Amino acid sequence: MLLETIKIAIRSLWSNKMRTLLSMLGIIIGVGAVIAVIAIASGTQEQVTSRIADLGSNLITINKGTTRGYFGRLSTTAEEVFTLELGEAIEEFCPSVTRVIPKSQASGYFIMGDNNIQASVIGTTVEYQNANKYYPEKGKFFSQYDLDNASNVIVLGSELVDELYGDVNPIGSKITFYYNKHTFIFNIIGVMEEKERGITGDFNSSAYIPITTYLNMISNSRYIGSFIAQAASADEAGQAVEQIEYMLTKHFGGDEEFSLMSQDELLDTITEVTGSMKLMLSGIAAISLLVGGIGIMNIMLVSVTERTREIGIRKALGAKRRNILSQFLIESLTLSSLGGIVGVIIGWLGAFGVAQIGGWPLIISVPTVVLAFSFSLLVGVFFGIYPAIKAAKLDPVIALSYE
Amino acid sequence: MLKIENLTKIYKNGEIEVKALKGISFEIKKGEMVAIMGPSGSGKSTLMHLLGCLDRPTSGKYYLKGNDVAGLGDDQLADIRNNYIGFVFQQFNLLSRTSILHNVEVPLIYAGVKKNKRRKIATEMLEKVGLGHRLKHYPNEISGGQKQRVAIARALVNNPALILADEPTGNLDTKTEEEIMRVFRDLNEQGHTIILVTHEDSVAEHAQRIIYLVDGEIRRDEVIA
Repeated sequence: MLLETIKIAIRSLWSNKMRTLLSMLGIIIGVGAVIAVIAIASGTQEQVTSRIADLGSNLITINKGTTRGYFGRLSTTAEEVFTLELGEAIEEFCPSVTRVIPKSQASGYFIMGDNNIQASVIGTTVEYQNANKYYPEKGKFFSQYDLDNASNVIVLGSELVDELYGDVNPIGSKITFYYNKHTFIFNIIGVMEEKERGITGDFNSSAYIPITTYLNMISNSRYIGSFIAQAASADEAGQAVEQIEYMLTKHFGGDEEFSLMSQDELLDTITEVTGSMKLMLSGIAAISLLVGGIGIMNIMLVSVTERTREIGIRKALGAKRRNILSQFLIESLTLSSLGGIVGVIIGWLGAFGVAQIGGWPLIISVPTVVLAFSFSLLVGVFFGIYPAIKAAKLDPVIALSYE
Repeated sequence: MLKIENLTKIYKNGEIEVKALKGISFEIKKGEMVAIMGPSGSGKSTLMHLLGCLDRPTSGKYYLKGNDVAGLGDDQLADIRNNYIGFVFQQFNLLSRTSILHNVEVPLIYAGVKKNKRRKIATEMLEKVGLGHRLKHYPNEISGGQKQRVAIARALVNNPALILADEPTGNLDTKTEEEIMRVFRDLNEQGHTIILVTHEDSVAEHAQRIIYLVDGEIRRDEVIA
């Protein structure tokens, strides 16, 4: 009986192909959009988080703190707080921290012949390479020997080389850096590989020198800008943050002189943001499912009116209310589930296409597909029930005489 | 077999009441072939709807094979129609989107007969009315006379107690009318009870008894032949 009713429904939908397609369109777009949106959002999230993981999810940035301004005092950034010795102390006393890398930065102008470009010089140590998974492409990074002797050497980011040298190999030549009304001249010993822009800044348009050289020549002091602390593993990053916080608070007698930022926290923030984006976008897509449902109701009402006589004939031949009700309900369910299936396919294709263009992985979760499809069935029942009841309640005498 | 007592039907249209049937009574025995005649507005269509259990009387009794059907609900009436009554309409009333075989199967679907048995019975019935070679055809591919034969086959599949034909030849030419009326007479000779609702003498003369309705009342009830 049920199978028979489904067959009748499919036969009547098949005999009106164009109308069937049009009335399914809303559901197709709705289901397709929900699936595509969630897949695309998941894909970009995966891409962003994996990029951050590439940066090292075990990295913790220790910056100088900013005090709040109050009673006419301006907000100030703490100066003269971090020293190389403090970095060594963190490395020694925090068990979850394996390495502490100092990082100072100054923005000025690199001058090469007639060209100049605004960029940063970063003073750091040899370990900077491993911590950031960032290595020279040509030549070499500065060595421990350069650090110990505060050598006058520099390694350039790939974009700096592109801008200032073009295709000429700069290694072995000298470059001028103009900062704070002083001119500094460095020997170029290497060019770094290209690295995607990370959250901590643009690697490619910076240049790298030993921290000792930086302190001697550029800042002319013993204080450095920030530290990058590396936890033993990503799992231990949380503990490492607590240990550093405890130690520095004791050291400074308060927590205003420093601030900590771990990649983990960053990841959490990004997951939260993309999560709410996903929710919002799929909510919008779900609205089109509702609109699709209204389309189905409309077409079912037309269909009931159009087939009033058929309903009368069926009733005369012994159809009960529930036979007519189920016939029309199954028809609207068939309509919405067909729409749902086509929508799943189109959403999948759309997500696949966008993922190909965007270069991120195609992530389609089974629960999403199941949810979107069941929602389309729900729409079919919800918007199909009224027309079906209307058909079932028709008076056979009136229905039979309907022209 | 069939008995009505003091049957009335009043239609209300706002304040206006129309008395379509003003209390009519008769009895029809098993194996009879009766014609119900009368001009337009005489109430013969209303009577046909009541006899066919498509509608309920305002008052009065209706016994069909001993069942009091006047006060039944919609679904019970649907069962009565399915089990006891076979309809043949002037407009044929076939389902246009399905084959004639499927058309004949429809009453059996609602009776809950299994597919294989259904197909067998419907095929037999169509062979009986001379359309065994047209099973897969659609209603728009066959002639009017053939359509009415399909409708008769459909009316017969549930082995009904009563065949109710409403102007069965109204849309057919004279020659085809003769053919269809012969089918009805054959069925009557095989023992089927048949009621013909018509305003044509040429149709009514095939019956053994004619009931004339005028203004919702029985004017004459006479046995011919």
